[in-house]
Amino acid sequence: MTNALETRGLTRTFGTRVAVEDLTLSIPAGSVFGFLGPNGAGKTTTVRMLAALIAPTAGTATVAGYQLGAQDHAIRRSVGILTENPGLYDRLSARQNLLFFGRLYDLDAATAEAQAERYLRLLDLWDRRDDPVGGFSKGMRQKLAIARALLHEPQVVFLDEPSAGLDPEAARTVREFIKSLRSAGRTIFLTTHNLPEADELCDLIGVFRTRLLRVDTPRNLRAGLFGRGTLVRLAQSPERWLEPIRRLPFVRAAELRQGGIAVTLDDPDAQNPLLVQALVSAGAGVRYVEPLDHSLEDVYLELVRSDSGERPPDAATG
Amino acid sequence: MHKAWIILSKEWRELLTERSLILSTLLPPLLLALMPVIITFAVGQSPDDDISELGGALADPALAGLSTLELGQAVIGRQFGLLLLLTPLIVPSVIASYSIVGEKTRRTLEPLLAAPIHSWELLLGKSLVALIPAVAITWVGAAIFVGGMALVAVSPQVLAAIVSPGWLLALILCTPSLALIMIAACVAISSRVNDPRTAQQVSAVAVVPLLGLFFGQLVGVIVLSPAFALGMAVILGVIAALSVWGATGLFQRETILTRWG
Repeated sequence: MTNALETRGLTRTFGTRVAVEDLTLSIPAGSVFGFLGPNGAGKTTTVRMLAALIAPTAGTATVAGYQLGAQDHAIRRSVGILTENPGLYDRLSARQNLLFFGRLYDLDAATAEAQAERYLRLLDLWDRRDDPVGGFSKGMRQKLAIARALLHEPQVVFLDEPSAGLDPEAARTVREFIKSLRSAGRTIFLTTHNLPEADELCDLIGVFRTRLLRVDTPRNLRAGLFGRGTLVRLAQSPERWLEPIRRLPFVRAAELRQGGIAVTLDDPDAQNPLLVQALVSAGAGVRYVEPLDHSLEDVYLELVRSDSGERPPDAATG
Repeated sequence: MHKAWIILSKEWRELLTERSLILSTLLPPLLLALMPVIITFAVGQSPDDDISELGGALADPALAGLSTLELGQAVIGRQFGLLLLLTPLIVPSVIASYSIVGEKTRRTLEPLLAAPIHSWELLLGKSLVALIPAVAITWVGAAIFVGGMALVAVSPQVLAAIVSPGWLLALILCTPSLALIMIAACVAISSRVNDPRTAQQVSAVAVVPLLGLFFGQLVGVIVLSPAFALGMAVILGVIAALSVWGATGLFQRETILTRWG
């Protein structure tokens, strides 16, 4: 699979302040990459560099097959960007906004018209196409800004907080739309603080704070950081069985959670029978054994806290 | 080049919805064109025998041989005629100072700069948005001024003294350069400040040299002959070219986004 986006040692400083440090990253074409990090982590600076809006201080990058720095104009033509603020012309209608940007992105008048109609219909804005954007709700503005980012059918799309501040229905529409983009083979660079959303949408997740702390699939991130977990519910008080479980040689960690015992294992498929066998042999009444999944939030907080030198309260199992 | 036209048409479409902006753009030039006509008419109705107050203005040989009444009208008309050259400074100061700052305050600058448009195309489009109305309004205002003077001048000699070849040349040749200088100043300032009012206030400084011309003629130090007008046009042309070059150099996408955005 070819990479839609590659960076090698990408760095950006502002005076003495390092905003992005030594970012090395490969994003396969057609995937959704979630770029997570706290506020001020340098995510916007990274996106601005990759969209050829600002130059890196050091390092190289290839975006949609074009070399950053040498082919910036071609990069701008090949990517779409949804900025943190929709940035629409309030006095123009939805259609006029799209036509303006369509023409700037080298679409001829007829194609721009057709694309504007296509995306306005796809995002349920067609009925409001001739209304000034100033009267639009936040959700409608966000959808229009997404349409603007996609109008020229870019290979790589940067979406900065696409569902931030939207009501649940609008947020769901946006998420479904992003899924359809992935199905259509677009590469999506998604910056978000909405971790369940990132978990749902992303093939790859990068946790970033000035430098890349970790990048992997959501599943591997969980497994790599916490191992995999099993929740055991017992007929007796779980406190009694916590220490015996911890003493089992294949158990990485165990803690009380959700009225049961959360057990971290390296290979639950192979080790769950051993665990159940050990408990039953010791006289425990096992009611349920169910997979325990760590949330992406657990992963994110663990990585960010570790980077800060802060030990999370439940580092053993998340 | 066609992207400059895309910018131009978008800006005009937006401007046409801003009624207060249109009013504030059109009103000063209209007053500059009509007020001199009214005052010159009033002077023609109540001549003052004592023309010594006109002072240095009488140094211009074109005024020789005019009666007291004609002199009063001619001097007033000529002075106000010069003020028409303020129009190409006033009109763009409103439109152009919003050119970049307006995009910043509306948060539309980043998507715009992310588009595949060269900085020169963006600046050309933004500049034409202000240049075309500035030149058109100035020349239309001048036509109103000339027409009005033809109606109220007490003699053809007065009209000839007011609508002199030097004045006409200055108006035709210097208007685009003056407008360009103001636009370049506004673009340069706008790309360095976040508040449109700051851009407008700083742009107002550009009016000062023109007031020098006004008072120079009033005290007789400057006579607006065709040769003087041509010289002025050449100098302003050079300044305009340098200003545009400087403004283009100052317009750095990255600086605008990161330091001032």
